[in-house]
Amino acid sequence: MKNQTEKNTFDAIVVGSGISGGWAAKELTEGGLKTLVLERGRNVEHVTDYITALKDPWEFKHRTHLTKEELKERPVQSSHCDAGDKHFYVKDSEHPYVQEKPFKWIRGYQVGGRSLTWGRQSYRFSDLDFEANKKDGHGVDWPIRYEDLKEWYDYVEAYVGISGSLEALPHLPDGVFLPAIPMNAIEQHLKESVREQYTDRVIINGRFANLTSYKEGRGQCMNRNLCSRGCPFSGYFSSNSSTLLDAYDSGNLTLRENSIVKEVVYDEATKKAVGVKIIDAITKEEITYYAKLIFLNASAIATASILLNSTSTSFPKGLGNSSLQVGHNLMDHVVNEGTYGTYDGLLDKYYEGRTPGLIYIPRFQNLDTKTENTDFVRGYGIQGKGERENWESKPVKGFGAALKAQLETPGKWKISLGGRGEVLPNYENKISLDPKKKDQWGLPLVKVHFEYGANDLAMMDHMTKASEDILVKAGFKSVGSYRNSPPPGSAVHEMGTARMGDDPKTSVLNKNNQMHDVKNVFITDGSCMTSSGCQNPSLTYMALTARACKFAIQQFNSDQL
Amino acid sequence: MGTLKKGRLIKNMDRRKAIGGILAFTGVGVASFAGFKFFYGNSKAKRGQLKNYESLISELVAVIIPATDTPGAKEAKVQVYVIDYMESCSSNKEYNNFLNGLTDLQETCLSEYDTNFEACTMAQKIEAIEILDINSGDNDLLTKIDNKIRGRSFFVILKSLTIEGYCSSEIGATELLAYVPVPVNYKAITTLAPNQKAWATR
Repeated sequence: MKNQTEKNTFDAIVVGSGISGGWAAKELTEGGLKTLVLERGRNVEHVTDYITALKDPWEFKHRTHLTKEELKERPVQSSHCDAGDKHFYVKDSEHPYVQEKPFKWIRGYQVGGRSLTWGRQSYRFSDLDFEANKKDGHGVDWPIRYEDLKEWYDYVEAYVGISGSLEALPHLPDGVFLPAIPMNAIEQHLKESVREQYTDRVIINGRFANLTSYKEGRGQCMNRNLCSRGCPFSGYFSSNSSTLLDAYDSGNLTLRENSIVKEVVYDEATKKAVGVKIIDAITKEEITYYAKLIFLNASAIATASILLNSTSTSFPKGLGNSSLQVGHNLMDHVVNEGTYGTYDGLLDKYYEGRTPGLIYIPRFQNLDTKTENTDFVRGYGIQGKGERENWESKPVKGFGAALKAQLETPGKWKISLGGRGEVLPNYENKISLDPKKKDQWGLPLVKVHFEYGANDLAMMDHMTKASEDILVKAGFKSVGSYRNSPPPGSAVHEMGTARMGDDPKTSVLNKNNQMHDVKNVFITDGSCMTSSGCQNPSLTYMALTARACKFAIQQFNSDQL
Repeated sequence: MGTLKKGRLIKNMDRRKAIGGILAFTGVGVASFAGFKFFYGNSKAKRGQLKNYESLISELVAVIIPATDTPGAKEAKVQVYVIDYMESCSSNKEYNNFLNGLTDLQETCLSEYDTNFEACTMAQKIEAIEILDINSGDNDLLTKIDNKIRGRSFFVILKSLTIEGYCSSEIGATELLAYVPVPVNYKAITTLAPNQKAWATR
């Protein structure tokens, strides 16, 4: 038995191999710690397991469509995947959860997690975000400020490879950038129009984790715009293409797939977590792994569910949950369905290549007294894409040779815009464990209870009107918006379920992402977010992870864990 | 079916209008004999039947996207895509609308042209498709409401699948349109060359 325990003992355990787990794996292994990474899904080898990446459209029997059978297995995921990338999304039928109110929980259970299919937009938070809770009283104050994270943003950006432009906007700090993805003719037109028509907003090049120039050991973005199938050119950042490979190279990584974490094991005598109990997804065997240091990076909802399922005499309500905040304050970004318009001019302009990029209108509300908005606090940004209509979107008439001729040439220019707004932390928005319903491994199902608040809805309305106004002022025709906004969860930015804060009574993690109650457990996925900002959050998770790893390694080496 | 066919033979009337009347109803998928049974088309669809209509669908897609200086939809095997999509991906409503549309078209051709669609002259085929196309009116509000309740009509489905299937086929993407699997660079602003083709993919 002793040998078995020894074999199952590591310096550190990382739960989850997605965007933040991959970073924890890289930093801890490179810091010299023998690290076990546990992934609940299957393995996905970089390049060789990107089975659809080099397929042409006609190689798909049903083109991009999912079959009725596939839809039935994926009632939730199907809005976010197609025939080209469905294998990187779970089957809801195999992994059910309870929606007390409609909430899309989009998941990718495999090595690399959702870092394979993420949107790749990467924006820094600023002190406008880190000070927001303190200023308007929603939620608790962040225990850190921009200055604490700045060097870590620099560090992860240099490694990830972020394309972007220097803009000197105080509320959207510049970073370490590769050349920006350029704007096409209609995007340039919109940028100029916004500059002429407004004093409060600008259009900038989106900031993307796509390599616009060659990067050693990786490659370059080939402008195929098929990122979510996995990139055989390593043109964008994923755990699979980057962090996990470096973790392997360190010689300190052990990766165990098909390992569903049941609970973190707590020792009453030492007041520490001693390891993690898993269920093998295939054999259903229970195994315990031991380590002095534990990082939870399973994503906001899953990490909170692991904590809630880890009960002990000291923590009857879940590990490290003396604050009773675990699972609460669930946030996503509020998304409107989108605004579109067509433009009659610039018909002599086109483009070559398929950019994976977008344009971005950074937040322009409630930055200062001049931009104060009376309808809501905080704010939103708008993302957009301009292109010329092709056969998918061009209005065509008739049939025969005349129809063919219409399909052959590019149509009008069009632009679509979509807002992404900050959701306020609210204790009532939460995940919990269903006391009765269990999954196929006997673990309690997650229940999600989430509703937008009045502030979130006011913002949704505003972003749609503002988007329409921007297009109308730029001379677009047929400007309109879809009025049904997608259900919460659709931004796939769920966060906040184990928030950081200075006060152990009202928060779960301290300023180093260390549990207030259990010092050798760190959480650096979306769970830790004290507020949501309106920026795509993955870059911040990565920076927080690298920062927390440095602290944890110091603590480990000085025997303080 | 014989009596039905005779009942539809209308004399001393503008023939086009008469066919239009029949096919237009087909368009919203409720007026055919089979359609009544599947009112609003919610009943279970008896899938697996479209293989039997492959030659008809081949001729239909060939009229919608014919061979010109580039091969057409039939050469691109769009009929196979249409059948695969309808069998595996369509809703019950739309499957029924589609199947009813095919049978109604054949009945109408038999009564009006005394032969099935495949054997019609090109002029007759074009006439039949023109009527279906005009009556499918996929833009007016009533049709949009109809589409929500009953699913899209036979011809709207057929035309959109033909366009999609053709433009994403190897022939359509590489011969009618321009397809570059690995663009390497992104040139954000280019000047459109005379007769430059649209990109096949986004």
